This record gives sequence, structure tokens and C-alpha cells, in this order.
Amino acid sequence: MPEGILCNKTPVDTVEQLQALLADKSGKQYYEEMKLLDVDTPALWATIQKSLKSRLRTWLEICARCGMCADSCFFYLANDRDPTQVPSYKIQSTLGDMVRRKGKVDNAFMHYAMDTAWSRCTCCNRCGMYCPFGIDMGVMFSYLRGLLFSQGFVPWELKIGSGMHRIYRAQMDVTTDDWVETCGWMCEEYEEDWPGLEFPVDKPNADIIYTVNAREVKHYPEDLAEAAILFHLAGENWTVPSEGWEETSLAMFAGDWVGCKKQVESVYAAMERLKPKRMVVTECGHAYRATVIEGPYWAGLKTGQTPVESFHYVEWVAEALRTGKLKIDPAKRIKEPVTYQDSCNYIRNAGLRECAREIMSYIAEDFREMRPCGEHNFCCGGGGGLNGIGRYREQRNVGLKVKRDQILATGAKLVVSPCHNCWDAIRDLEEIYHIGIRWSFLKPLLLKMVIVPEHLRPEE
Amino acid sequence: MFKKILFATSASPVCDNAAKVAFDLELKWDARLIVFHVLGIPTHGFSPFVTDVRTGEREQVDPDYVDWVKEEMRNTYADLLKDTENVTLEAAVGVPHREILRKARDEDVDMIVMGAHTRPEDIGASRFRNVVGSTMQKVAKGARCPVVIISRPCTTCWKLFSNIVVGIDLSKASGAAFLWAARLAREVDANLHIFHAVDLAGTEVGQIKSQEEIEAHIATVRGKIENLYLPQLKGYEKVTVMVREGVPYVEILKQARERQADLIVMAHHTREIDPEQALLGSTVEQVVLRSACPVASVNRLDKTVDTSA
Repeated sequence: MPEGILCNKTPVDTVEQLQALLADKSGKQYYEEMKLLDVDTPALWATIQKSLKSRLRTWLEICARCGMCADSCFFYLANDRDPTQVPSYKIQSTLGDMVRRKGKVDNAFMHYAMDTAWSRCTCCNRCGMYCPFGIDMGVMFSYLRGLLFSQGFVPWELKIGSGMHRIYRAQMDVTTDDWVETCGWMCEEYEEDWPGLEFPVDKPNADIIYTVNAREVKHYPEDLAEAAILFHLAGENWTVPSEGWEETSLAMFAGDWVGCKKQVESVYAAMERLKPKRMVVTECGHAYRATVIEGPYWAGLKTGQTPVESFHYVEWVAEALRTGKLKIDPAKRIKEPVTYQDSCNYIRNAGLRECAREIMSYIAEDFREMRPCGEHNFCCGGGGGLNGIGRYREQRNVGLKVKRDQILATGAKLVVSPCHNCWDAIRDLEEIYHIGIRWSFLKPLLLKMVIVPEHLRPEE
Repeated sequence: MFKKILFATSASPVCDNAAKVAFDLELKWDARLIVFHVLGIPTHGFSPFVTDVRTGEREQVDPDYVDWVKEEMRNTYADLLKDTENVTLEAAVGVPHREILRKARDEDVDMIVMGAHTRPEDIGASRFRNVVGSTMQKVAKGARCPVVIISRPCTTCWKLFSNIVVGIDLSKASGAAFLWAARLAREVDANLHIFHAVDLAGTEVGQIKSQEEIEAHIATVRGKIENLYLPQLKGYEKVTVMVREGVPYVEILKQARERQADLIVMAHHTREIDPEQALLGSTVEQVVLRSACPVASVNRLDKTVDTSA
């Protein structure tokens, strides 16, 4: 049973494996090896039998191929209504066939399934809202990704990403020391401008435990400083854990179920250890979905809830504005037309639509909704890991057209985007289509307009 | 005073003037020089792609690519590298100002040397719009050690500096700038010119200060300098004090010109780091744009006193 050196059925669990993959630029050798990778059909069928439960079986069977899902899919719209982009077709021709054939599929089929699962679906779950039967193709594609991962058919970048989680419990090679050191560094860099600023690590019984995205630690630590400053101004009793601080999950994008479990368990362990009242996560969409919505099930928590109540950053901001912990200077509110990118993962999949509107009512004078918006909003075009996969760059760029047209129709030149992946997709669509927009996370905007209480101002 | 220097470079001709100074410091002060280039800006969300700092192209970084960039750096600085003993070339992925600050912190360097502009094509734009490269601004704001910005050829060897102008605004940060300037002046036996400009541009519209008011203000500041700053020099005598009224950056530049300054030292402690917001620029940015000599920005006490003794 031929397996490649880089492309194989073994997940990445060691630094050596990880480095070998990273050295293979753009996954050239990896994808060559994939062409020869055998499918272990008995194992695949055994996995399906064990893990394909009644809900997904029913969905596959009752789908009437009515096509109501077609217009709900941004890929279908962006690709001139190509019938092969209809969600029901996409899932039936991949997972559906795989099940009907009892796992007896070949390498070419697996390639087709991989390309479909990662470049023609971002698991945004919009189709599920429009199916008369409530069939959610996004959920099924997430499941299909798991089957593909188990057989080694996974995009190169995501094999690396899931390996990072397995080794570092973070999506990048950030160690505990790196993380704690970065917290101290940011405190040091900003404490002169913000007297009394703290960055408490491992403080037990805090009101808030704050968790982040490793990219903030690795490349954009200002984001951490901004979060600390806003907690400081709001007078919060908060902390970060030295371990279990990473809330994102590329393992989820990759379909690495074991990696998913390991990752969220590290966060839940931090909650158990430090006993905070609640958890707040940074401005990241999939992190919230992974750790708060899906994670409890991965970890086998019977309640389906995280060990302590968990909040997305927009929930915390809305609350802080509502209760007056943060006060906005009316003169500094955003005057120009501004729109808001509803992230699928915390708006559609977690119902936080109103939090976003509440925040905009405090900070913007001319807020313009995209159409459709809220839980009906389209994916930014880069979700589900698609932004980061080189093999599917072209498909991704075509898909961005839907978001481009939505933004243009609002007339706004500023897009508030409290999600790392949406932020990237919107930046990329500006680079590709040049529509003259700017985009921002919430934190830097808030810092520009929040009233700093007298006693927290630096001495002049 | 300079045991370890970080030369942050865009590895393009814009940084050539800064390169000469950095390599000269390595030679004359027997310092360790780290030539540091940040090659690609990563995305916020998950992606292995970076935007190449020089070409603006999308790149996937692997060990070979980093080696290739280092080789390019070696070629760029081939002439300067000939006479050196203690230089290392390093490249990293990240946001330039952040990685420069990280490196400076990790290595605990005594000084950062950089050019004022990050991209060649930005030069005209920068000068036209009066905005200095934002990387420089952010590094100057965040660094704990002095940051020297060089935008024009500096022909005088630092050991031969004879006139150092230190612009102070009586803030805590400018106290650090003063101490560092004094330390350098003492070390190279240069004249130290302490300068303060009473900002007339800051007067509210419709209010005109009378000459008496201005002179009274100047006298007060002069008194503060004599009482608070001069005693810290502990007997160093090659010092002048000058207080003038006007637009601060113009007055500092005039002073530098009159004194034939080899170096201007100032604090850069504006809280606004967004280059768009700082369009009109703080004093230090205006000085950097126009100064004929290098400008050192010092905000913190970390490297102002000799701790080796």
C-alpha cells in the first residue's frame, strides 16, 4: 500500500515531520505523492460505519435534489450558476457516492472529493437555512473532510496546520514561553501610555479568561495590547492562561478530529485550572465555533457547553458599551458610511447578530447593512481554511466577487470585520478588485473613540 | 557605549546612507552589528502566504527563500562587509516594525540604526506628503533603546562628532534623550547644545502672546534647564543652553545648522502612530525629513546610563 514520505495517512505529531512538510515549498512533492496515494477502502468503510450517524444518513437519503439550495451558495452565484456548484450536487457526488459505494473509491475520486470539500465549500452553512428539509451541506462537508483527512487526502497547508495544533496546541509554532514573554513585552511597551496597565497571566478566579489566535502572538501582538488596554479601561478583572490560550482550530478546517479534541481540551483544562467566571475570545470567527459551539462535543462534555460560560469578543464589547464600562466619545463616532461583515461562524452559527448591531449603534453614525445580512449574510469568501490554501487560490478569488458586490452596494468605504479570516478575505478582495475600501477589527476603532477615565490617563 | 547595534534595513538603496553609518559604528566602536531585514508581511488569518516587502508579490516562505534573501543581502552589502569582523545577517518574516522591535528586545541592543523610508517608490510620496515611513515611526515609538534615523549621507565618523544638539520639551522622555546625548557627548568629547523651542504655533487662534509673555516663558524654561538638567552633567563643561520661540521643528533645524551639528537627539513620544493621522507630523518627523545630519530618537532611560561599570 504505497504511502508518500510527506503525503500519507499518518498525522503530523513530531517537529521533524512538520519541518519536512514545511520545507516542501507549496507542497509540490506532497501533491505529487498524493497522486499515487492508495485508498484504504476497508478502513474508510469502517470509519463511515462507525461515524456516519442517523442525522447525516437521513440527510443524504431525503435530499430531493430540488435545487432550493443553489442560490444560497456564493460559489454557485460567483461561478455563473454552474450546476456543479449546487450544494446538493456537491455533497451527493462526493460523500453521497462514497457512502453508496461502501467506501470503494479510488484515488481519482478522492482527489475530486478533496478539491470539492475545500475549494467549493467553506462550511459557511448558509445552504442549511434554505433547504426545505433543513439539510446542512456545510455540516456534511465538515464530516467529509474528516474522512478525507483520515485517508491522507488533505491540502498541504492544512496537514501542517493540524500538525501545529498537535505539537504546539496552537496553529503556529508558539511555545508557552513565547506566549508568556509576548504578554510581558506588550505590557512593557504600552504601560507608559496607559498607567497601571497589566497583563495578568494565570491569575486564578478572575472574572474573565481571555483566549486568542496564535497569529496575534506570532505577528500582531498589538492586538493583544489593544485587548489588554480595553479590559483595563473597562475595569475588568481578567487574565490569560499560560497554557490553553489558543482558541482557533486549523484541525477543524483540516478534518483532524483527534487534533480538534486535543486542542479544545487544552483550553477547557485552563478553565478548570484557573476557575474564571467566564471566557472571552478575541475577534475570530472559527475560533469561537471550534471552542464554544463544537468543542464541547469533541471533548465529550455531556452538557454540550464549555466548562465556563464563553463569550465572543462582540458580546463583551456590546455588554461593555451597554453597561457603560466603555464609553464612546460622541464626537469621535464614525461619521462616514460604514458596513459590517457578519462572520458565518459567530453570527449564523451562534446567533450573535444583535450584538454586532448594538455595537454599531454606539460607534457609527451612518451604519449600512449589507444585503442580505445577519444570519443570512454570505461568507466572506475565504472561510473554512480556503484563504490559506495555495492550490485553490483561483477558486477563492472568483468566490470573493459576491462579497465585493455586497460591499459596493452599501456605498460604504469602511468595513468593520471582527474576524481574522473575514479581515483577510476583504483585504485580498481589495487587492484583487481595487474597489477602494478599508477594513478594520473593532479594537483599534474602539481605542480611537473610547473616553479614557481621568484616573487612567498618563501624566503630561 | 555601543556594544551591539541593530541595523534594520529594507535592503534597498534607500538604506545605503544608514548602512554606511551602521558599518562604520561596527568598525570604530568594535561593536557587534546585526544587519536585519524583514522580508514578508504575513496575513491576519490562517495562511502560509506573505507579501514580499520589496516586490509586493505574494510569496510562500520556506528555508530556501530565507537563505536566498540573506544571499541577496550579502551581495548588497558586499563592499561594506569586506572590512568587518563582527557582522551577522539575519532575515525574518513578519510586520517590519514589530520584528525590528522584537529583535532589538531579544538581543538587548544598544541602538537601532535605520533609514527614514521603507520603500524606494515611497521616497517622493513621503517627501511630498511630509510623512516619514511608518515603520520608522513605530520603531521609534516602541523601542527601549535609542533609534538613529539617517536619511541623508552622514560623512562624519561618530568618534569625531564635535557638536550634538539635544532638543528637549521638559517631558520625562526628553529627559532620557538628554541623558543619552550627554553620555555620547562625554564619550566622544563633543559640545552638547541643549535646546528648547517655545511653541508659538500652539497658541490659540486670535490670541497673540505679547513679547513680555514670551520672554517670561523663555526665562522660566531656561531656569528649569539650569536647575534640572545641568546638574546631571556632573561638571561636563562643553555645554550651551539655548531657548527660542517659534515653530519647534524649524527652530531645532536652525539651531542644528548654526551649531554645525553632527547629530540631533530628541524624544519621539507622540501617542499617535497612525501615519495618516500624523499627516502634519510630530516635531521629530519633521526634523527627520529635513535634517542634514542623523537624528536620534530616545524615549526611555534604558540605554542612557553606563551599566557596565
